[in-house]
Amino acid sequence: MRTFFIIFLKELRAFFLSPLAWTVMALFTFLNGWLFASMINAMQMRVSSRSLIYNFFDSGWFWMGFFILFPLITMRLFAEEKKMGTIEGLLTAPVRTSEVLLGKYFAAVVVFLVIVTPMYLFFPLFQAVTGEQAAFQGGALWGAGLGIALVGIFNVAIGTLASALTSNQLIAAMLTFVFAMLHYFLGFLHNFGVVPGSVWTGGMTYFSTTEHMHALTGGLIDSGPIIYYASFSILLLAITYHVLESRKWRV
Amino acid sequence: MIEVKDLTKRYAGRTAVDAISFEVEKGEVVGFLGPNGAGKSTTIRMLTCFLSASEGTAKVGGYDIYDDSIKVRQHIGYMPENVPLYPDMRVSEYLNFRAKIKGLRYREAKRAVSEAMDICSLAEVERKMVATLSKGYKQRVGLADALVNKPDLLILDEPTNGLDPNQIRQARELIKRLGDRHTILISTHILSEVEVTCGRVIIIDRGKIKASDSPQNLIRRLRKPGEILLEMSGDAESAEKELLKLDGVNDVRRLDDRAKWTSFSITTDPNVDVREDVAALIQGEKWKIRELASRAASLEDAFVDLVQEKRGDTAEGKGKGK
Repeated sequence: MRTFFIIFLKELRAFFLSPLAWTVMALFTFLNGWLFASMINAMQMRVSSRSLIYNFFDSGWFWMGFFILFPLITMRLFAEEKKMGTIEGLLTAPVRTSEVLLGKYFAAVVVFLVIVTPMYLFFPLFQAVTGEQAAFQGGALWGAGLGIALVGIFNVAIGTLASALTSNQLIAAMLTFVFAMLHYFLGFLHNFGVVPGSVWTGGMTYFSTTEHMHALTGGLIDSGPIIYYASFSILLLAITYHVLESRKWRV
Repeated sequence: MIEVKDLTKRYAGRTAVDAISFEVEKGEVVGFLGPNGAGKSTTIRMLTCFLSASEGTAKVGGYDIYDDSIKVRQHIGYMPENVPLYPDMRVSEYLNFRAKIKGLRYREAKRAVSEAMDICSLAEVERKMVATLSKGYKQRVGLADALVNKPDLLILDEPTNGLDPNQIRQARELIKRLGDRHTILISTHILSEVEVTCGRVIIIDRGKIKASDSPQNLIRRLRKPGEILLEMSGDAESAEKELLKLDGVNDVRRLDDRAKWTSFSITTDPNVDVREDVAALIQGEKWKIRELASRAASLEDAFVDLVQEKRGDTAEGKGKGK
C-alpha cells in the first residue's frame, strides 16, 4: 500500500510538472468551450426536446476530442520507462508489480479527471450568467459526470495495457486510440438492421457508450454501466499485470 | 551471500546462460568478467529477479529468488547497465524516491539519502536535474541509488562504462572503499578493472563459467613464457650471444639502440626468473645496466587464453557436427 502511494504521487508529479498535462487541459477545455457555445447557438435557432447536457454529450464532436485524451495521458506510463530502461531499476526494487501498476493507473485516472473537470464548470457557469434554470436538471450534471468518469477509467485501463505492450510511446498511443474508438463504435452496431427488442439489440446496447450516456445525462443512474465499465477495467488491468510479468519469461 | 546452482536462461533456441554455478561469500568483492554478450547481464537480471531462470536456482542472502523475491530485492543494491535514471527529477528528489520505494520511512529516507550523497560526493549537484548531469555524475547518482538502503550486496553492471579515465579511477577507488562494508559483484568486460578492485574473478564466456579464482592465481596458472626487459650499454653483439647461453633463456630480441644504450627483450621458460643471472653476467663483463625488469603476465593474458581456448573448442565441435 505504501509503495502504491509513492508511485501514485511520483506519477502525478511527473504529469503536472510537465507541460503536457496543462497543454492538453487547456486545449481540451478550449475545444469543448467552442462546442458548448455552438450547441447553445444551435438550440437557440431550433427548439430541442432534449436538455443542453444531453445534446452536448450526444454530439460526435465531443467524443472525437474526448478519445484523443487517453493516448496522451497513458502512452508514457510504461512505454517511457521501458525505453529509458528505468523499468529495470523500478522492478528490481522491493516492490510488487501490482502496486506499481495500480499506482500508475490511478495517477492517470486522476489526471484524466482533472483535465475534464473544467468542462463541467461550463454548465453551472452558463446557468449563473444567463439565469436559465430550465437548461437542464442538476441530477443530469452529476449523471454526466459519473458517465464520463466511467468511460474514463475504462479507457485509461486500455491505455495502460497498450503502454505496457510496447516501448514505443507512439505505438502505445495508436493502440489506445484505435481500441477506444473500436469500443465506441461497437456501441453503434445495434442501430444497424437489428430487430428492436430482440436479444441481440439488448446485448449490443450493453456495449454502447452513447446509450449509457443517454441514460445518465437524463439523470437516471443505472448500475448496469457502472458494473460494465468497472469490471472491464479490472479485466484490462489484470491483463496488464500479466503483460508486465511476462517480461521474465519471454524469449 | 550468493549461491547459484545450475542457473540457465534460454532465449528462443539460444542459451544465454548455460547451467552456471558459483558462490559469493559475505564480504567478497567478485568480478564477473566476460566479453560482451557472454551472459553477464542476463545472470545479474536473474539474481535481481528482473528475469526468471529457465532452469536452476539461486539464493541471495539465504532467500530464494523465486519464493522470496521481495526479500531478495531488499538485500540487493543494484545498478543496471548504463545507469537508467529519471531525467526530469532533481538528484535529491530522485534518491529520495528511490529510498522510499525501497521501504525507508520519511526520516530514515532523508538521512540515508544524505549519507549516500556524501559517500558518492554528490553534494554540489543535489539540486540539479538528472538530465543535465555529466556521465560521471549520473554514474555516481546510480551508485548512491544502489547504496541508499544500505544493502548487504551491491551488484554493479558495468559500473565504469562510458567514463573518462579520471572518472574511472575515481569510480574504482569508490568501489574499493565500498568493498570494506559490502559484498560486491561487479560485471565488466574491462580486465584492468577487475585486477584493481576484485579479490576474485569469475570468467564467463558464451554462458559458461570458464574460471573462478583470484586474479593472482589465474595469472600464476597461466603457462605463458616469461619476458624480461633489459636496457644496457656495452658490446651489444656479444651480450646477445651471452644472454642466449643462460639457463632458461629461449630467445633474445634486440628492441632498440639509443646512443650507446641497447634494450633487449628476453623470453624465458614459464615461471623461471633469470634476472639475477642476467645481472651477474653484466657485472662480470663490466657493462652498465639501466633497466632490468620482468614484464608480469597480466589478467588480460589469462583472459585471452581462456576465451581463445574456448573458441578453438567450439570450432572443433561444429566440425564434428557436420
